[in-house]
Amino acid sequence: MAPQAPPEPGVLFPPRNPGWLGFRMVLRRERAGHRGGVVRSRGRLALFAFVAFLLVLPAVALDFPALSGRVVDDAGILDEETRAALTQKLAAFEARTTDQLVVVTLKSLQGTSIEDFGVELGRHWQIGQRDKNNGVLLLVAPNERRVRIEVGYGLEGALTDAVSRLIIENGITPRFRAGDFAGGITRGVDDIVSVLSGDAEEWQARAARRPDTVSPTDSTRNDSIWPVIWVVLVVMLVVFICSMLAGALCAAILRLFAMLSLVSGRGSSGGFSGGGGSFGGGGASGRW
Amino acid sequence: MSYASSVLRLARIPVLVACLGLLLAGCGVNNIPSYDEAAKAKWSDVLNQYQRRADLIPNLVETVKGYAAQERQVLEEVTNARARATQVQVQIPPDIVNNPEAFKRFQDAQAQLTGALGRLLAVSERYPDLKSNQNFLALQSQLEGTENRIAVARRDYIEAVRQYNTELRTFPGIIWASTLYKNNKPMETFTVAEDVKTPPQVKF
Repeated sequence: MAPQAPPEPGVLFPPRNPGWLGFRMVLRRERAGHRGGVVRSRGRLALFAFVAFLLVLPAVALDFPALSGRVVDDAGILDEETRAALTQKLAAFEARTTDQLVVVTLKSLQGTSIEDFGVELGRHWQIGQRDKNNGVLLLVAPNERRVRIEVGYGLEGALTDAVSRLIIENGITPRFRAGDFAGGITRGVDDIVSVLSGDAEEWQARAARRPDTVSPTDSTRNDSIWPVIWVVLVVMLVVFICSMLAGALCAAILRLFAMLSLVSGRGSSGGFSGGGGSFGGGGASGRW
Repeated sequence: MSYASSVLRLARIPVLVACLGLLLAGCGVNNIPSYDEAAKAKWSDVLNQYQRRADLIPNLVETVKGYAAQERQVLEEVTNARARATQVQVQIPPDIVNNPEAFKRFQDAQAQLTGALGRLLAVSERYPDLKSNQNFLALQSQLEGTENRIAVARRDYIEAVRQYNTELRTFPGIIWASTLYKNNKPMETFTVAEDVKTPPQVKF
Protein backbone atom coordinates (compact mmCIF):
# COMPACT_ATOMS: atom_id res chain seq x y z
CA MET A 1 0.00 0.00 0.00
CA ALA A 2 1.19 3.60 -0.57
CA PRO A 3 2.49 5.34 2.53
CA GLN A 4 -0.38 7.00 4.38
CA ALA A 5 -0.40 10.79 4.88
CA PRO A 6 -0.53 11.82 8.53
CA PRO A 7 -4.05 12.84 9.61
CA GLU A 8 -4.73 16.47 8.80
CA PRO A 9 -6.26 18.68 11.41
CA GLY A 10 -9.97 18.95 10.81
CA VAL A 11 -10.15 15.61 9.04
CA LEU A 12 -12.15 13.40 11.39
CA PHE A 13 -11.72 10.10 9.60
CA PRO A 14 -8.71 8.09 8.50
CA PRO A 15 -7.26 8.59 4.98
CA ARG A 16 -8.98 7.36 1.86
CA ASN A 17 -7.25 3.99 1.44
CA PRO A 18 -6.97 2.32 4.80
CA GLY A 19 -6.35 -1.18 3.39
CA TRP A 20 -8.43 -4.22 4.24
CA LEU A 21 -7.78 -4.45 8.01
CA GLY A 22 -7.93 -0.69 8.34
CA PHE A 23 -11.20 -0.79 6.46
CA ARG A 24 -12.75 -3.00 9.11
CA MET A 25 -11.58 -0.57 11.81
CA VAL A 26 -13.11 2.29 9.88
CA LEU A 27 -16.35 0.35 9.64
CA ARG A 28 -16.49 -0.19 13.37
CA ARG A 29 -15.65 3.42 14.12
CA GLU A 30 -18.25 4.78 11.70
CA ARG A 31 -20.95 2.51 13.03
CA ALA A 32 -20.11 3.61 16.55
CA GLY A 33 -19.99 7.25 15.55
CA HIS A 34 -23.21 7.52 13.52
CA ARG A 35 -26.23 6.10 15.29
CA GLY A 36 -28.46 6.85 12.33
CA GLY A 37 -25.81 5.23 10.14
CA VAL A 38 -25.97 1.99 12.15
CA VAL A 39 -29.71 1.72 11.71
CA ARG A 40 -29.55 2.54 8.01
CA SER A 41 -26.66 0.18 7.31
CA ARG A 42 -28.31 -2.72 9.17
CA GLY A 43 -31.56 -2.10 7.33
CA ARG A 44 -29.78 -2.06 4.01
CA LEU A 45 -27.90 -5.23 4.88
CA ALA A 46 -31.13 -6.94 5.84
CA LEU A 47 -32.73 -5.82 2.59
CA PHE A 48 -29.84 -7.17 0.54
CA ALA A 49 -29.86 -10.42 2.46
CA PHE A 50 -33.59 -10.82 1.94
CA VAL A 51 -33.36 -10.12 -1.80
CA ALA A 52 -30.47 -12.57 -2.13
CA PHE A 53 -32.47 -15.20 -0.27
CA LEU A 54 -35.47 -14.71 -2.56
CA LEU A 55 -33.31 -14.97 -5.66
CA VAL A 56 -32.06 -18.42 -4.72
CA LEU A 57 -35.39 -19.95 -3.70
CA PRO A 58 -36.35 -22.57 -6.31
CA ALA A 59 -39.85 -22.15 -7.70
CA VAL A 60 -41.13 -25.73 -7.85
CA ALA A 61 -44.60 -26.75 -6.83
CA LEU A 62 -44.01 -30.51 -6.89
CA ASP A 63 -42.01 -32.31 -4.26
CA PHE A 64 -39.35 -34.29 -6.12
CA PRO A 65 -37.33 -37.13 -4.60
CA ALA A 66 -33.60 -36.60 -4.36
CA LEU A 67 -31.41 -38.05 -7.11
CA SER A 68 -29.69 -40.53 -4.83
CA GLY A 69 -28.43 -42.75 -7.63
CA ARG A 70 -29.43 -44.28 -10.92
CA VAL A 71 -32.26 -46.21 -9.26
CA VAL A 72 -34.38 -44.03 -6.96
CA ASP A 73 -36.78 -46.37 -5.21
CA ASP A 74 -39.01 -43.87 -3.44
CA ALA A 75 -41.97 -46.25 -3.33
CA GLY A 76 -39.89 -49.08 -1.90
CA ILE A 77 -40.94 -51.79 -4.33
CA LEU A 78 -37.49 -53.03 -5.30
CA ASP A 79 -35.16 -55.17 -3.23
CA GLU A 80 -31.48 -54.44 -2.66
CA GLU A 81 -30.30 -57.05 -5.17
CA THR A 82 -32.40 -55.71 -8.02
CA ARG A 83 -31.35 -52.14 -7.27
CA ALA A 84 -27.67 -53.06 -7.32
CA ALA A 85 -27.97 -55.07 -10.53
CA LEU A 86 -29.89 -52.28 -12.27
CA THR A 87 -27.46 -49.61 -11.09
CA GLN A 88 -24.58 -51.60 -12.52
CA LYS A 89 -26.33 -52.06 -15.85
CA LEU A 90 -27.22 -48.38 -16.10
CA ALA A 91 -23.72 -47.24 -15.17
CA ALA A 92 -22.19 -49.52 -17.78
CA PHE A 93 -24.66 -48.21 -20.36
CA GLU A 94 -23.78 -44.62 -19.63
CA ALA A 95 -20.07 -45.41 -19.79
CA ARG A 96 -20.60 -46.89 -23.25
CA THR A 97 -22.87 -44.30 -24.80
CA THR A 98 -23.09 -41.28 -22.41
CA ASP A 99 -26.91 -41.75 -22.44
CA GLN A 100 -28.23 -41.37 -18.91
CA LEU A 101 -31.01 -43.75 -17.94
CA VAL A 102 -32.60 -43.41 -14.52
CA VAL A 103 -35.26 -45.57 -12.91
CA VAL A 104 -37.54 -43.92 -10.37
CA THR A 105 -40.48 -45.31 -8.43
CA LEU A 106 -42.81 -42.75 -6.90
CA LYS A 107 -44.92 -42.92 -3.75
CA SER A 108 -47.43 -40.52 -5.23
CA LEU A 109 -47.94 -38.40 -8.33
CA GLN A 110 -49.16 -35.52 -6.12
CA GLY A 111 -52.25 -34.92 -8.19
CA THR A 112 -50.62 -34.40 -11.58
CA SER A 113 -50.52 -36.73 -14.54
CA ILE A 114 -47.51 -38.97 -14.96
CA GLU A 115 -46.68 -37.15 -18.21
CA ASP A 116 -46.39 -33.79 -16.45
CA PHE A 117 -44.53 -35.31 -13.53
CA GLY A 118 -42.10 -37.03 -15.89
CA VAL A 119 -41.17 -33.86 -17.79
CA GLU A 120 -40.82 -31.78 -14.63
CA LEU A 121 -38.74 -34.42 -12.86
CA GLY A 122 -36.50 -34.95 -15.89
CA ARG A 123 -35.86 -31.22 -16.17
CA HIS A 124 -35.34 -30.86 -12.43
CA TRP A 125 -32.77 -33.65 -12.27
CA GLN A 126 -31.34 -32.67 -15.66
CA ILE A 127 -30.82 -36.23 -16.79
CA GLY A 128 -28.80 -36.56 -19.97
CA GLN A 129 -25.81 -34.61 -21.23
CA ARG A 130 -26.31 -30.89 -21.65
CA ASP A 131 -25.34 -30.73 -25.30
CA LYS A 132 -27.11 -33.91 -26.38
CA ASN A 133 -30.19 -34.14 -24.13
CA ASN A 134 -29.82 -37.92 -24.20
CA GLY A 135 -31.66 -38.82 -21.01
CA VAL A 136 -34.33 -41.44 -20.39
CA LEU A 137 -36.46 -41.67 -17.28
CA LEU A 138 -38.42 -44.80 -16.40
CA LEU A 139 -41.12 -43.77 -13.93
CA VAL A 140 -43.29 -46.18 -12.01
CA ALA A 141 -46.13 -44.94 -9.81
CA PRO A 142 -47.46 -48.09 -8.15
CA ASN A 143 -50.17 -46.29 -6.17
CA GLU A 144 -51.70 -44.71 -9.25
CA ARG A 145 -50.79 -47.79 -11.33
CA ARG A 146 -49.05 -45.80 -14.03
CA VAL A 147 -45.74 -46.30 -15.77
CA ARG A 148 -44.00 -43.96 -18.18
CA ILE A 149 -40.86 -43.89 -20.27
CA GLU A 150 -39.83 -40.24 -20.57
CA VAL A 151 -37.41 -39.64 -23.43
CA GLY A 152 -35.14 -36.60 -23.76
CA TYR A 153 -35.03 -34.40 -26.86
CA GLY A 154 -31.92 -36.05 -28.21
CA LEU A 155 -33.15 -39.65 -28.12
CA GLU A 156 -36.63 -39.10 -29.51
CA GLY A 157 -35.47 -40.29 -32.92
CA ALA A 158 -34.07 -43.58 -31.62
CA LEU A 159 -36.50 -44.38 -28.80
CA THR A 160 -39.69 -43.22 -30.50
CA ASP A 161 -43.09 -42.95 -28.88
CA ALA A 162 -44.32 -46.06 -30.65
CA VAL A 163 -41.32 -48.12 -29.52
CA SER A 164 -41.69 -46.89 -25.95
CA ARG A 165 -45.31 -47.88 -26.03
CA LEU A 166 -44.38 -51.35 -27.28
CA ILE A 167 -41.80 -51.75 -24.52
CA ILE A 168 -44.41 -50.82 -21.94
CA GLU A 169 -47.21 -52.94 -23.34
CA ASN A 170 -45.15 -56.04 -24.07
CA GLY A 171 -42.45 -56.06 -21.42
CA ILE A 172 -43.52 -54.02 -18.43
CA THR A 173 -47.24 -54.02 -17.77
CA PRO A 174 -47.82 -57.78 -18.14
CA ARG A 175 -45.28 -58.35 -15.39
CA PHE A 176 -46.70 -55.55 -13.27
CA ARG A 177 -50.14 -57.10 -13.57
CA ALA A 178 -48.69 -60.30 -12.15
CA GLY A 179 -47.20 -58.29 -9.27
CA ASP A 180 -43.60 -58.67 -10.41
CA PHE A 181 -42.22 -55.13 -10.18
CA ALA A 182 -38.57 -56.14 -10.16
CA GLY A 183 -39.02 -58.29 -13.25
CA GLY A 184 -41.03 -55.68 -15.09
CA ILE A 185 -38.58 -52.86 -14.43
CA THR A 186 -35.58 -55.05 -15.29
CA ARG A 187 -37.22 -56.10 -18.55
CA GLY A 188 -38.05 -52.48 -19.35
CA VAL A 189 -34.47 -51.39 -18.73
CA ASP A 190 -33.12 -54.24 -20.86
CA ASP A 191 -35.47 -53.34 -23.71
CA ILE A 192 -34.60 -49.66 -23.60
CA VAL A 193 -30.89 -50.44 -23.55
CA SER A 194 -31.22 -52.83 -26.46
CA VAL A 195 -33.22 -50.33 -28.51
CA LEU A 196 -30.74 -47.57 -27.87
CA SER A 197 -27.75 -49.78 -28.66
CA GLY A 198 -29.51 -51.98 -31.20
CA ASP A 199 -28.56 -50.38 -34.47
CA ALA A 200 -24.87 -51.22 -34.69
CA GLU A 201 -23.99 -48.49 -37.15
CA GLU A 202 -25.85 -45.82 -35.24
CA TRP A 203 -24.33 -47.07 -32.00
CA GLN A 204 -20.84 -46.90 -33.48
CA ALA A 205 -21.46 -43.35 -34.62
CA ARG A 206 -22.67 -42.34 -31.17
CA ALA A 207 -19.76 -44.13 -29.52
CA ALA A 208 -17.34 -42.25 -31.78
CA ARG A 209 -18.92 -38.91 -30.81
CA ARG A 210 -18.59 -39.40 -27.06
CA PRO A 211 -15.70 -37.63 -25.32
CA ASP A 212 -12.65 -39.61 -24.18
CA THR A 213 -13.38 -39.19 -20.50
CA VAL A 214 -16.47 -41.20 -19.60
CA SER A 215 -17.26 -39.90 -16.10
CA PRO A 216 -20.80 -38.46 -16.05
CA THR A 217 -19.93 -35.15 -14.42
CA ASP A 218 -17.07 -34.33 -16.76
CA SER A 219 -19.28 -32.90 -19.47
CA THR A 220 -20.35 -30.13 -17.12
CA ARG A 221 -16.77 -29.25 -16.24
CA ASN A 222 -16.22 -26.99 -19.22
CA ASP A 223 -19.49 -25.19 -18.60
CA SER A 224 -18.54 -24.33 -15.05
CA ILE A 225 -15.36 -22.45 -15.93
CA TRP A 226 -17.09 -19.39 -17.36
CA PRO A 227 -19.27 -18.62 -14.33
CA VAL A 228 -16.16 -18.83 -12.14
CA ILE A 229 -14.35 -16.30 -14.32
CA TRP A 230 -17.34 -13.98 -14.18
CA VAL A 231 -17.54 -14.28 -10.41
CA VAL A 232 -13.85 -13.46 -10.05
CA LEU A 233 -14.20 -10.40 -12.30
CA VAL A 234 -17.23 -9.17 -10.41
CA VAL A 235 -15.52 -9.65 -7.08
CA MET A 236 -12.53 -7.68 -8.31
CA LEU A 237 -14.79 -4.89 -9.50
CA VAL A 238 -16.61 -4.80 -6.18
CA VAL A 239 -13.39 -4.72 -4.19
CA PHE A 240 -12.16 -1.90 -6.41
CA ILE A 241 -15.32 0.09 -5.74
CA CYS A 242 -15.05 -0.61 -2.04
CA SER A 243 -11.49 0.57 -1.97
CA MET A 244 -12.79 3.97 -3.08
CA LEU A 245 -15.43 4.27 -0.44
CA ALA A 246 -15.90 3.03 3.07
CA GLY A 247 -19.07 2.41 4.96
CA ALA A 248 -21.67 -0.18 5.75
CA LEU A 249 -23.17 -0.10 2.26
CA CYS A 250 -19.96 -1.55 0.92
CA ALA A 251 -19.96 -4.26 3.59
CA ALA A 252 -23.53 -5.08 2.65
CA ILE A 253 -22.62 -5.41 -1.03
CA LEU A 254 -19.69 -7.66 -0.18
CA ARG A 255 -21.80 -9.88 2.02
CA LEU A 256 -24.47 -10.12 -0.67
CA PHE A 257 -21.92 -11.30 -3.21
CA ALA A 258 -20.39 -13.73 -0.74
CA MET A 259 -23.80 -15.22 -0.08
CA LEU A 260 -24.65 -15.49 -3.78
CA SER A 261 -21.34 -17.09 -4.69
CA LEU A 262 -21.60 -19.58 -1.83
CA VAL A 263 -25.08 -20.59 -2.88
CA SER A 264 -24.19 -20.92 -6.55
CA GLY A 265 -21.35 -23.20 -5.56
CA ARG A 266 -23.65 -26.05 -4.51
CA GLY A 267 -21.89 -28.69 -6.52
CA SER A 268 -23.03 -32.17 -7.45
CA SER A 269 -23.53 -34.80 -4.78
CA GLY A 270 -20.62 -37.21 -4.56
CA GLY A 271 -21.78 -39.95 -6.90
CA PHE A 272 -24.18 -39.80 -9.79
CA SER A 273 -25.70 -36.54 -10.98
CA GLY A 274 -27.58 -35.28 -13.98
CA GLY A 275 -25.55 -33.96 -16.90
CA GLY A 276 -27.70 -30.92 -17.66
CA GLY A 277 -30.02 -32.45 -20.23
CA SER A 278 -33.60 -31.44 -20.85
CA PHE A 279 -36.88 -33.10 -21.78
CA GLY A 280 -39.67 -32.14 -24.13
CA GLY A 281 -42.49 -34.51 -23.35
CA GLY A 282 -41.54 -37.42 -25.63
CA GLY A 283 -42.10 -41.05 -24.71
CA ALA A 284 -45.11 -43.15 -23.80
CA SER A 285 -47.19 -44.09 -20.79
CA GLY A 286 -49.08 -47.16 -19.74
CA ARG A 287 -51.30 -48.33 -16.96
CA TRP A 288 -52.02 -51.66 -15.42
CA MET B 1 -3.96 18.14 0.48
CA SER B 2 -6.91 18.55 2.81
CA TYR B 3 -8.89 20.22 0.01
CA ALA B 4 -8.22 17.24 -2.26
CA SER B 5 -9.17 14.70 0.36
CA SER B 6 -12.35 16.52 1.30
CA VAL B 7 -13.35 16.79 -2.38
CA LEU B 8 -12.76 13.05 -2.71
CA ARG B 9 -14.91 12.42 0.34
CA LEU B 10 -17.66 14.57 -1.11
CA ALA B 11 -17.34 12.74 -4.41
CA ARG B 12 -17.80 9.39 -2.68
CA ILE B 13 -21.57 9.32 -2.97
CA PRO B 14 -21.86 10.39 -6.62
CA VAL B 15 -19.12 7.93 -7.56
CA LEU B 16 -20.94 5.18 -5.72
CA VAL B 17 -24.19 6.06 -7.48
CA ALA B 18 -22.46 6.12 -10.85
CA CYS B 19 -20.82 2.72 -10.28
CA LEU B 20 -24.05 1.17 -9.08
CA GLY B 21 -25.82 2.70 -12.03
CA LEU B 22 -23.30 1.11 -14.39
CA LEU B 23 -23.70 -2.27 -12.71
CA LEU B 24 -27.47 -2.09 -12.83
CA ALA B 25 -27.49 -0.90 -16.42
CA GLY B 26 -25.20 -3.74 -17.38
CA CYS B 27 -27.62 -6.16 -15.82
CA GLY B 28 -30.91 -4.79 -17.02
CA VAL B 29 -30.56 -3.43 -20.51
CA ASN B 30 -30.15 -6.74 -22.30
CA ASN B 31 -33.08 -8.49 -20.69
CA ILE B 32 -35.76 -7.35 -23.10
CA PRO B 33 -34.11 -8.57 -26.31
CA SER B 34 -32.95 -11.79 -24.60
CA TYR B 35 -36.42 -12.65 -23.36
CA ASP B 36 -37.84 -11.66 -26.74
CA GLU B 37 -35.57 -14.10 -28.55
CA ALA B 38 -36.18 -16.84 -26.00
CA ALA B 39 -39.94 -16.50 -26.39
CA LYS B 40 -39.65 -16.56 -30.19
CA ALA B 41 -37.56 -19.74 -29.98
CA LYS B 42 -40.23 -21.35 -27.80
CA TRP B 43 -42.85 -20.24 -30.29
CA SER B 44 -41.07 -22.06 -33.11
CA ASP B 45 -40.98 -25.15 -30.90
CA VAL B 46 -44.75 -24.90 -30.57
CA LEU B 47 -45.13 -24.56 -34.34
CA ASN B 48 -42.89 -27.60 -34.86
CA GLN B 49 -45.00 -29.79 -32.62
CA TYR B 50 -48.25 -28.68 -34.25
CA GLN B 51 -46.71 -29.42 -37.64
CA ARG B 52 -45.66 -32.85 -36.42
CA ARG B 53 -49.23 -33.60 -35.42
CA ALA B 54 -50.54 -32.42 -38.77
CA ASP B 55 -48.07 -34.74 -40.51
CA LEU B 56 -49.35 -37.79 -38.62
CA ILE B 57 -52.97 -37.27 -39.59
CA PRO B 58 -53.09 -38.46 -43.23
CA ASN B 59 -51.67 -41.84 -42.21
CA LEU B 60 -54.21 -42.07 -39.40
CA VAL B 61 -57.10 -41.25 -41.70
CA GLU B 62 -56.03 -43.91 -44.19
CA THR B 63 -55.71 -46.56 -41.50
CA VAL B 64 -59.12 -45.80 -40.03
CA LYS B 65 -60.69 -45.76 -43.53
CA GLY B 66 -59.44 -49.31 -44.00
CA TYR B 67 -61.65 -50.54 -41.17
CA ALA B 68 -64.34 -47.92 -40.65
CA ALA B 69 -65.02 -46.45 -44.07
CA GLN B 70 -68.65 -45.85 -43.15
CA GLU B 71 -67.63 -43.19 -40.62
CA ARG B 72 -67.36 -40.77 -43.49
CA GLN B 73 -68.53 -37.71 -41.62
CA VAL B 74 -65.92 -37.94 -38.90
CA LEU B 75 -63.14 -38.72 -41.37
CA GLU B 76 -64.06 -35.78 -43.55
CA GLU B 77 -64.25 -33.54 -40.55
CA VAL B 78 -60.69 -34.46 -39.58
CA THR B 79 -59.37 -34.03 -43.11
CA ASN B 80 -60.99 -30.62 -43.47
CA ALA B 81 -59.84 -29.47 -40.05
CA ARG B 82 -56.30 -30.50 -40.91
CA ALA B 83 -56.41 -28.69 -44.22
CA ARG B 84 -57.61 -25.55 -42.51
CA ALA B 85 -54.97 -25.76 -39.80
CA THR B 86 -52.23 -26.26 -42.39
CA GLN B 87 -53.52 -23.33 -44.41
CA VAL B 88 -53.50 -21.07 -41.35
CA GLN B 89 -50.01 -22.24 -40.47
CA VAL B 90 -48.71 -21.52 -43.96
CA GLN B 91 -50.23 -18.05 -43.85
CA ILE B 92 -48.82 -17.11 -40.46
CA PRO B 93 -47.67 -13.47 -40.52
CA PRO B 94 -44.13 -12.93 -39.23
CA ASP B 95 -45.40 -10.86 -36.31
CA ILE B 96 -47.89 -13.45 -35.13
CA VAL B 97 -46.67 -13.38 -31.54
CA ASN B 98 -47.57 -9.69 -31.30
CA ASN B 99 -50.72 -9.84 -33.41
CA PRO B 100 -53.84 -10.78 -31.39
CA GLU B 101 -56.16 -11.56 -34.34
CA ALA B 102 -53.66 -13.76 -36.20
CA PHE B 103 -52.80 -15.54 -32.97
CA LYS B 104 -56.44 -16.20 -32.19
CA ARG B 105 -57.05 -17.53 -35.71
CA PHE B 106 -54.13 -19.92 -35.32
CA GLN B 107 -55.28 -21.05 -31.90
CA ASP B 108 -58.84 -21.63 -33.11
CA ALA B 109 -57.73 -23.65 -36.13
CA GLN B 110 -55.61 -25.92 -33.95
CA ALA B 111 -58.36 -26.29 -31.35
CA GLN B 112 -60.77 -27.32 -34.11
CA LEU B 113 -58.30 -29.98 -35.27
CA THR B 114 -57.86 -31.24 -31.71
CA GLY B 115 -61.61 -31.59 -31.36
CA ALA B 116 -61.98 -33.43 -34.66
CA LEU B 117 -59.14 -35.80 -33.77
CA GLY B 118 -60.68 -36.53 -30.40
CA ARG B 119 -63.95 -37.45 -32.08
CA LEU B 120 -62.18 -39.69 -34.58
CA LEU B 121 -60.34 -41.58 -31.86
CA ALA B 122 -63.50 -41.93 -29.81
CA VAL B 123 -65.31 -43.37 -32.83
CA SER B 124 -62.51 -45.81 -33.58
CA GLU B 125 -62.99 -47.32 -30.12
CA ARG B 126 -66.02 -49.06 -31.55
CA TYR B 127 -64.03 -51.13 -34.05
CA PRO B 128 -62.10 -53.94 -32.33
CA ASP B 129 -60.29 -54.90 -35.55
CA LEU B 130 -59.04 -51.37 -35.89
CA LYS B 131 -58.05 -51.17 -32.26
CA SER B 132 -55.84 -54.24 -32.53
CA ASN B 133 -54.21 -53.19 -35.78
CA GLN B 134 -50.50 -52.67 -35.11
CA ASN B 135 -50.25 -49.67 -37.37
CA PHE B 136 -53.15 -48.00 -35.64
CA LEU B 137 -51.65 -48.65 -32.21
CA ALA B 138 -48.35 -47.17 -33.31
CA LEU B 139 -50.14 -44.11 -34.73
CA GLN B 140 -52.20 -43.74 -31.59
CA SER B 141 -49.10 -43.74 -29.39
CA GLN B 142 -47.39 -41.27 -31.72
CA LEU B 143 -50.41 -38.98 -31.54
CA GLU B 144 -50.52 -39.20 -27.77
CA GLY B 145 -46.81 -38.41 -27.63
CA THR B 146 -47.28 -35.45 -29.97
CA GLU B 147 -50.19 -34.09 -27.96
CA ASN B 148 -48.00 -34.30 -24.87
CA ARG B 149 -45.17 -32.52 -26.65
CA ILE B 150 -47.59 -29.83 -27.78
CA ALA B 151 -48.72 -29.37 -24.19
CA VAL B 152 -45.12 -29.08 -22.97
CA ALA B 153 -44.15 -26.69 -25.76
CA ARG B 154 -47.18 -24.50 -25.04
CA ARG B 155 -46.31 -24.40 -21.34
CA ASP B 156 -42.73 -23.41 -22.11
CA TYR B 157 -43.94 -20.72 -24.49
CA ILE B 158 -46.45 -19.32 -21.98
CA GLU B 159 -43.70 -19.13 -19.37
CA ALA B 160 -41.31 -17.38 -21.76
CA VAL B 161 -43.99 -14.88 -22.76
CA ARG B 162 -44.86 -14.26 -19.13
CA GLN B 163 -41.21 -13.46 -18.42
CA TYR B 164 -40.99 -11.13 -21.41
CA ASN B 165 -44.25 -9.30 -20.74
CA THR B 166 -43.36 -8.91 -17.07
CA GLU B 167 -39.98 -7.44 -17.99
CA LEU B 168 -41.70 -4.92 -20.27
CA ARG B 169 -44.03 -3.80 -17.53
CA THR B 170 -41.93 -3.83 -14.38
CA PHE B 171 -39.05 -1.70 -13.18
CA PRO B 172 -36.30 -1.43 -14.41
CA GLY B 173 -37.36 -3.00 -17.71
CA ILE B 174 -39.99 -0.35 -18.22
CA ILE B 175 -37.30 2.29 -18.47
CA TRP B 176 -35.52 0.48 -21.30
CA ALA B 177 -38.84 -0.40 -22.94
CA SER B 178 -39.84 3.22 -23.24
CA THR B 179 -36.44 4.46 -24.36
CA LEU B 180 -34.45 1.88 -26.29
CA TYR B 181 -37.08 -0.70 -27.17
CA LYS B 182 -40.10 1.35 -28.12
CA ASN B 183 -40.99 -1.13 -30.87
CA ASN B 184 -41.25 -4.14 -28.57
CA LYS B 185 -44.88 -4.94 -27.88
CA PRO B 186 -46.22 -7.48 -25.40
CA MET B 187 -46.61 -10.99 -26.80
CA GLU B 188 -49.76 -13.02 -27.13
CA THR B 189 -50.21 -16.13 -25.06
CA PHE B 190 -52.44 -19.19 -25.23
CA THR B 191 -55.79 -19.21 -23.53
CA VAL B 192 -57.22 -22.46 -22.20
CA ALA B 193 -58.24 -24.59 -25.18
CA GLU B 194 -61.99 -24.84 -25.58
CA ASP B 195 -61.75 -28.50 -26.54
CA VAL B 196 -60.25 -29.27 -23.16
CA LYS B 197 -63.25 -27.84 -21.37
CA THR B 198 -65.88 -29.75 -23.38
CA PRO B 199 -64.94 -33.36 -24.16
CA PRO B 200 -66.12 -34.65 -27.58
CA GLN B 201 -69.64 -36.06 -27.57
CA VAL B 202 -70.01 -39.39 -29.37
CA LYS B 203 -73.54 -40.26 -30.49
CA PHE B 204 -74.26 -43.98 -30.72
